[in-house]
Amino acid sequence: MAAKIAELMAALPDAEAELVPGAGTEGELQKILATRAVPINSFHRLSLLGGLQAKVAAAYAFHWIRGWFQDASQRERDLAETQFKLAVRVLDTMGYMRGAVMKLGQVLGNAPDVLPEQLVETMKSLHFQAPPMHFSLCREMVVDELGDEPERVFAEFDEVAFAAASLGQVHRARLKSGEEVAVKIQYPGIGRTIRSDFRALLPALLPNRLSRDWQNLKDQVETIRRQFELETDYLREAESQQRVRRLFRDEDGIVVPKVYLNVSTRRILVMDYLPGVHLDDYLGTHPSQEERNSRATKLVTTASRMLYSGRMLNADWHPGNFLFMPDGRLGLLDFGCVLRHESEEEWGRIRRINRAIVTGEGKLIRNVMIEWSQLEDTPKNEEQIRLYMDFGKWCWRPYYSGGEFDFGDPGYIQEGVKIWKQIARKRYTRSHPTNLLQFRWECGYRMMFYRLGAVLNSMPIVANEMKAAGWDHRG
Amino acid sequence: MPRVTAATKEATRARILEAGRESFVRCGFAETTTRDIARQAGIAAGTLFNYFTSKEEIVLQLMSEALLARTEKAFLRRRRDGSSLEEDLFLFVSTGLRQLKPLRRFIAPALETNLSPASQDTSGPGPAIRVGHLEFLAGLLSQHGLAEPPTGMQLQMYWVLYTGVLSFWARDESRKQENTLALLDQSIGMFITWLRMESSDPS
Repeated sequence: MAAKIAELMAALPDAEAELVPGAGTEGELQKILATRAVPINSFHRLSLLGGLQAKVAAAYAFHWIRGWFQDASQRERDLAETQFKLAVRVLDTMGYMRGAVMKLGQVLGNAPDVLPEQLVETMKSLHFQAPPMHFSLCREMVVDELGDEPERVFAEFDEVAFAAASLGQVHRARLKSGEEVAVKIQYPGIGRTIRSDFRALLPALLPNRLSRDWQNLKDQVETIRRQFELETDYLREAESQQRVRRLFRDEDGIVVPKVYLNVSTRRILVMDYLPGVHLDDYLGTHPSQEERNSRATKLVTTASRMLYSGRMLNADWHPGNFLFMPDGRLGLLDFGCVLRHESEEEWGRIRRINRAIVTGEGKLIRNVMIEWSQLEDTPKNEEQIRLYMDFGKWCWRPYYSGGEFDFGDPGYIQEGVKIWKQIARKRYTRSHPTNLLQFRWECGYRMMFYRLGAVLNSMPIVANEMKAAGWDHRG
Repeated sequence: MPRVTAATKEATRARILEAGRESFVRCGFAETTTRDIARQAGIAAGTLFNYFTSKEEIVLQLMSEALLARTEKAFLRRRRDGSSLEEDLFLFVSTGLRQLKPLRRFIAPALETNLSPASQDTSGPGPAIRVGHLEFLAGLLSQHGLAEPPTGMQLQMYWVLYTGVLSFWARDESRKQENTLALLDQSIGMFITWLRMESSDPS
């Protein structure tokens, strides 16, 4: 059986070798991506077996599995092989496409030093350089959604998109009333591909079906599926965007573009155009430590204001959704995956987590992690609780440790990845259904600060935001 | 007996087509009879057969008018300079779908018979639609620098994809038939990729 694993591994791309044949540079890679349309039906996605993203995904899985099972028993390796084959098959099926897989790519693309460099480069390209819709397709979407040709709905409409994202692409335009706007147009039928991908994901999870956490795992996947599907409704996103916009004032230096509802629909979202660059280009200008810290302060303010005053969390926290504006302000984009903590029950949970974050007290963290992971009514597994506590302590150390914290320390990121790997290796999947989204935010948030190389005492900023929202800053 | 002039004939024909369109929209294709259409058009039931052999032929004639003259005009109006072959072809087909939209609910039977890639018809509106559409396609390909006229196999491949898109669209229940747009994009991408591979293949 071990030989079979070796054969399987040998058949996969070597992490150090070229992952994308013929795509030596990022420019070439983008050229390849740009010539492909978005696969919509299962048949076409299946036909992409061996395609670019499948290779990347397989390489990723290869690294993952090899790390996990080096010291495992024969039985564990047999099981790993089965699961791995399933996972590779599913990833192949998903292959090269937008939607759910793009979202995974966006999270992974934020993880330099942790994942193979070429993989990170490929995933990073998914932030802004997704394959474009040609103008004829955009035109049809505009006519279907807004009832007339783009040239007649807008005073000016740029035929070439200036940004692409997981579910759509963005064009510059000018309204007849004169405002410079960004028009986000969604790829047609993307909701269907998300549903179909989640159906394809289920077989990969089946080896866990005899586990006592099977129902919990399915609930988590279902929560993510529902959230991703909600993201296809741009009117819902517009509502979240308006809520967040109301939270910030001019003096905050944080800008949320105004939405134009009269020309927005479920598939088209029109908002003010903001000038600025994304994280990589910003870092390319070699900003000083002081300047980077100032930007990081705005990021902390953003997350804290949204949480304490707005009862919201942007689970899609990645560099593509932030603009570093030339005048020093921070632009916030994309509110499709905003979690709203609307029920008092949910809000109470957030308050309890918050107390643990602020104090860093072991007992509070333990209670929160038990509650967070829905372990209250199960036989206590102390190892599981300890690992969850380690993860919580790692997550919240920048707050409770007090003083300046070096977010750019690779050791800090590697420590978090190590804990996460241990949790995954033990297959501790039990969790509150929304935690995967919360986890996505936690990762995105930290990775952004890491890449920014921020050195910051964030607790006073957080405490200030809590106080403004009427909370005792000790939770 | 008054003499039936060409103009009268043309007017009657137009009345039948309009009556057919209204009846199909109101009652559906299956529930509409030629008698209903004749009544709606204000002519005797038998007179209808002087103009059309069946209600399927009425649908095909309505499709022909939408797809040939009206689509070409609308396409040329919407087309912009410098667009790629993919964009032009997508625009041509999607413009046709817009013209066909009022007929969407009752074109499925025609697609399964007269317009099917397997159809052996050589005369009537079905073959006219096919020939007219493929001639326009050939013109577009030539404008985009494909030196050789498309082969019979290439045209057949295109027609299979095109009628597949039409059939999907006729039954597409997605919001504003957005899934059809995605399928059309895929189909055109697939066709043009294959076409270019064929052109660059020296054998």
